[in-house]
Amino acid sequence: MKKIDRKDFLKIGGGAVVGGLAGYTLSGAPFLGFQWLVEWSQDQYVPAPGIEKYVQAVSDSCTNGCKVSVRMIGNRAVKIESKDGVCPACLNGLQLLYHPERISTPMKISGKKGSGNYQPVSWDQALKDISSKMNALVNEGKANTIAAVNKNESLNGQLMEKFVRNAGSNNVYYEPSLNSITSNALGGYVKYDFAKTDFILSFGAKLVEGWGNAVEMQKQFLNWKKNNVKIVQADSVCTRTGGIANEFVGINPGTEAVLAFGMANYLITAKRMTSSGDDFAKWSQLIINKYPLGKVAKLTGVAEDKIKKLADDFAAAKNPVAVAGKGAHGVSGSSAEIIAVYCLNTLVKSGAATLVKNSAVSYTAEFAGLDKFIKEGSFSMMFLNGSDPVYKSVYGEELKKKLEKAFVVAIAPLMNDSAVYADYILPPLSFLEAETPESKPAVKALKESKDAKEIIISLAAMVDKTKNALPKTSADAYKSAGRETAGGKFSFNFEKIKADIEAYEKKLGQNAEYPVTLVPYEAPLVGDGDGLAFPYVLKSIDPSVLNLGKFYVMMNKETGKKHGFSEGSSIKISSARGKLGKAYVHLSDVVAPETVAIPLGFGHESYTKYGNEKGLNPKKIMTADVDPLTGAADWWSTRVKIS
Amino acid sequence: MIVKDSAMKRKWGMAIDLDKCTGCGACSIACNQENNMPIFEDDSDVPKRVAFLELMKVTNDRDAKFPDVKTAFLPKMCQQCEGNAVGKHKADPPCVSVCPAVATDVGDDGVVSQIWSRCIGCRYCQTACPYEARVFNWWKPEYEGSFKNSLSTDVSVASRGTIVKCTFCSHIWKRERDKATANGILDINAVLYTPACASACPTGAIIFGDLNDPESEVSKLAKSDRAVRLVNTVDDETPEKQKALMSKKQYANPKVYYLTSQKWLRDMMRFKKNS
Amino acid sequence: MIQFIKNIFQESSKNMRITLYVLIGLVVLFGIFAIQILFWGLGYTDMNNNFTWGAWIIGDLGLVALGGGAFTTGYFLYIFRVDKLRPLISSTVLIGFMCYLFTFVFLLFDLGQPLRCWFGFAYPNWGKGVYPASMLTEVFFCLSIYFCILVVELIPVVLEHKVLIKNKVVAAIAHYMHLLMWTMAAGGTFLSFFHQGSLGGGMWGVLYARPVWFAPHFFFMAIVAAMAGGTSFMTMMPYIAGKIMKKEVVPMESYQLLTKISGMIFIGYFVFRVYDVYTGIAKFAPMAQRNYFDMWGGYYGVWMLVLEFALIISALFFLNQKKYREQEKFMVIGACSGIFAIVTSKLSVLLHGFSVPNFPWKSFTAYMPTIQEWLITLGCFACMILIYMVFAKWFPLFPHLEHHEAHDESHH
Ligand code: SF4
Ligand code: SF4
Ligand code: SF4
Repeated sequence: MKKIDRKDFLKIGGGAVVGGLAGYTLSGAPFLGFQWLVEWSQDQYVPAPGIEKYVQAVSDSCTNGCKVSVRMIGNRAVKIESKDGVCPACLNGLQLLYHPERISTPMKISGKKGSGNYQPVSWDQALKDISSKMNALVNEGKANTIAAVNKNESLNGQLMEKFVRNAGSNNVYYEPSLNSITSNALGGYVKYDFAKTDFILSFGAKLVEGWGNAVEMQKQFLNWKKNNVKIVQADSVCTRTGGIANEFVGINPGTEAVLAFGMANYLITAKRMTSSGDDFAKWSQLIINKYPLGKVAKLTGVAEDKIKKLADDFAAAKNPVAVAGKGAHGVSGSSAEIIAVYCLNTLVKSGAATLVKNSAVSYTAEFAGLDKFIKEGSFSMMFLNGSDPVYKSVYGEELKKKLEKAFVVAIAPLMNDSAVYADYILPPLSFLEAETPESKPAVKALKESKDAKEIIISLAAMVDKTKNALPKTSADAYKSAGRETAGGKFSFNFEKIKADIEAYEKKLGQNAEYPVTLVPYEAPLVGDGDGLAFPYVLKSIDPSVLNLGKFYVMMNKETGKKHGFSEGSSIKISSARGKLGKAYVHLSDVVAPETVAIPLGFGHESYTKYGNEKGLNPKKIMTADVDPLTGAADWWSTRVKIS
Repeated sequence: MIVKDSAMKRKWGMAIDLDKCTGCGACSIACNQENNMPIFEDDSDVPKRVAFLELMKVTNDRDAKFPDVKTAFLPKMCQQCEGNAVGKHKADPPCVSVCPAVATDVGDDGVVSQIWSRCIGCRYCQTACPYEARVFNWWKPEYEGSFKNSLSTDVSVASRGTIVKCTFCSHIWKRERDKATANGILDINAVLYTPACASACPTGAIIFGDLNDPESEVSKLAKSDRAVRLVNTVDDETPEKQKALMSKKQYANPKVYYLTSQKWLRDMMRFKKNS
Repeated sequence: MIQFIKNIFQESSKNMRITLYVLIGLVVLFGIFAIQILFWGLGYTDMNNNFTWGAWIIGDLGLVALGGGAFTTGYFLYIFRVDKLRPLISSTVLIGFMCYLFTFVFLLFDLGQPLRCWFGFAYPNWGKGVYPASMLTEVFFCLSIYFCILVVELIPVVLEHKVLIKNKVVAAIAHYMHLLMWTMAAGGTFLSFFHQGSLGGGMWGVLYARPVWFAPHFFFMAIVAAMAGGTSFMTMMPYIAGKIMKKEVVPMESYQLLTKISGMIFIGYFVFRVYDVYTGIAKFAPMAQRNYFDMWGGYYGVWMLVLEFALIISALFFLNQKKYREQEKFMVIGACSGIFAIVTSKLSVLLHGFSVPNFPWKSFTAYMPTIQEWLITLGCFACMILIYMVFAKWFPLFPHLEHHEAHDESHH
């Protein structure tokens, strides 16, 4: 055999290398390598697989209790569905369930109040500590210094009311809502029979944007379309409700009540209509003297003829109904306004508005309402049942100071601006983990969270005075849930609201120092603030509300020009109560002249990292006059100056 | 496994009744949830936001002054354009032919698909799309902590630097077909489905279905007088003029129809001539 | 090595030193921001879902169009045998090469997934016939092949380096490559017609749903634009280099000839552009029920169009009249106007094009590159200038100059 010399060796070696390289390239291996590099450098998350199934759950996102089905992958809930559609509050249940900042064990404060420093404790310890505090207060005869603020009239709200009242306190409040304020103004909240009416006259009630019972309203909305129900919206900002209305009556900000006075005046004087409410004679006399149509036209910005026409149409309809309660999720209004609007219903003998009550919910407490209580009351112990009055009340700052001095217990799944002042935070379940008479828990409870009803029941069992007052289990609680009963007789409560009726004229007149009016509006999904902790809500906010971290208020184009603002220019708003931080202007003619419309629901201080530090909370500078009947501040329209 | 034992009959389309839409936003939340949209602490960078469905606020203050104003919401997603697909011609959406990597295609069911792992991120398709319906992952998609538990396995998590878009939730159709297949039904046309946004809508404003089936609700709605397609100006012309125009130029010709009897809203869906 | 670099700095004048520092500084910053963009993504740019492209695509459009001067000059020299252009050709090829090189760099940065760039070749979007369905597929292939040609064209410049050329083999290769150059020029011209058309115009013209761009003739107009602007550019670069080096690097008559060519092509471009605007107003905008002038607004208003036409007319005026062109000053003004006319047109394709609202209820948008975008763009330009400087100093970029210097030396 020939000897392989050096040269040949090199040749063969070189050939092998070249061939190998060529083969490697042609094999596609480098491309696979690239592909691998691409994937490796991405490090994408792959959701854990599992078997798909559907389970049922009952939503507690509002008081409706809709039944929904939950799509599960293994033991993870991935979607909330229903063949009838699901409203957004309920869809957010999933984001609450898996919220990374979800509170999942009882927490005890471990730093200064408001600092947000907490450490986990056991249920036993937390409940023992809270109940012994409560027992002590009851024994010392200071039971009335125990207070509670409920978010709404849900079953756990009713239990909380029962619990605190039985402990001997009269200080049970509900966050001001449509039901709570109308109930206090009229002696029962209004049950509207929207299915039977043919003419709806809304005084700023954003009927399809979360107002009242949102789920019910969506259904009614479809009926109105089908039955050709006429909808008239009187408002100073044309929101979606103004858009769906057959007629939008643009009024000057904060003049809803005056428009109602004017219409009542016309119906009483020109149409000889009367109301059966107590004190009608005195009330009508004052209205007739104080609010002649000419003045009403000037104040509201609606022509006299138009007011007459509106009143005529209203009176001529078969079953008209006038709706009070400005706002969507956040509702505000004076009792003078609510009574005036309800008066219209009694004048035309509307069959679609009756006053009712909930047998388990009493809106009468030590003080007329929550804001009055915050302003004037005092407490040494406070239960915050899902509520966030520090954020939602115009008296938030005052409440902070009082919470700092009291012993505060918050039942909250997420930190919020009020819970951050709590001594104990007790974590409730999300509806996906809760058991109801109609459904099993869809997913296993997160760590140590417990059903809010059970939390209240077990607390009550440990307080001597309430030991036997509450149902023994949450299953029993369902049986004792409140029922609807007839409301009291409608009264104009003339003596109490007289001054307020007269004050409107002055409030709405020229004001050199505060020339423009600030009114709120709500953006989809954000509502009056509860939505902001959920990232998919943040993803849906329109750029005309929040864009690139900038918070926008809306202003009429002409007004903007007059005051020297152009699209996107920065604006500082201040009222007699204080200043707001920097906002930006979005010029739009959906807003009445000389008005600034500001979105509600922004500017949280401690509502998870998603909700925090986004936009401004206008409640901080909104008017804080407390209404004599509702005990809630009438913050809706605020005189401000802008620069 | 899907066995195609008959030719595709479906052509999916959508009709959105704007007069029924209250702007509640359920469609948006449902879409985000269904399609595993990334979660950011501050999602207010709207121009870079990653979401398939945009709940656009439309007002008529271009044409009117207070108090003659109106407000509506318009849920906008991929309009599943067809281009001038007439007769047997394959649909030619503006965004498909431009892709240099064949990462996007239009299926014979009319749905414009997107393969996230094929996209090189050149954003040419985004440039081509007249409806701003394609979104780019400018940042790495994030899902903080336990939020990951709510991710669906049907839609893969996209990588940074790729385009993603609404696919009419075609994964739901696949899911339904798979179920049918498991029951021995192999016909690809056997099942219908409802995308997440449509099934979430509390007022039933979003109707989805087969445009090829003249009996389906969506094809009836699409033909109604109330139907109007977003900025698809060729629709306004007479049939002869339409034919003439379409012979010279393609139009987007979406398969999403908006329904409204409000004149102002129809006006707002067109650019004002000579404004 | 360090000594060598030190020497360079010491030999240079003060102004030159400052320039060098600035350029090198830019390149370093480019490196830093490049890492940020490549590793953390395009979130750091001001591009967004509406303004999908930005500074880098402007850079691409500008570089490719101006680099188009390379094929035009090559075509005239090698195919038409216009020998007066020979002193310019090496510089032209180098500039062309760099323009395309950095076009690739920009494109790479613009990809959300740069590691997948090869998908463009692996899964190309070819249509039914030979022609690609996607203009970008066309760009991918055509640009790459043409780039290879530019590399081949550039090799002789390198090989002819004083030291290298002494090697017999090298000299032979260089010689034969020169003879072969016309094939390259022909191939380059052929390819250039396609990608100039596609990247410069076709890419935009095919977007049938975007009335601001849609124009079937856009493809062809871009080719003319590149030839017109590119030739001006290829004059100005060596001219500026000569001014800085204070030497006559290219004879005046070569400049004159190339600017004359440029001026003539600009006539064609002017006519084309007028036709373009006319069809925009009369045909394409109305087909989409839009008003051509309504589509100009916001920051990128109709002033861009006016400016562009003013520059084109200035170029026409100064380059096409012998009495002006022959005065160096006016020749420079004319050529610069030409270059800026093309740059402005590219800016307005992008900035104005993207700023136009897609929905009737939206307003015009704007784009402001972030620091990352600026520095990556400027860093690339700095790189180009440095490379050009290196070639001007150490390689036979300007045969005319070498010739003269050799001449001078023999006199001593
Ligand atoms: S961004 Fe992706 S899908 Fe769009 S054209 Fe480029 S590669 Fe194709
Ligand atoms: S809307 Fe955009 S993404 Fe959807 S098919 Fe049309 S062009 Fe493509
Ligand atoms: S069809 Fe699916 S992907 Fe498209 S918008 Fe609706 S929910 Fe989102």
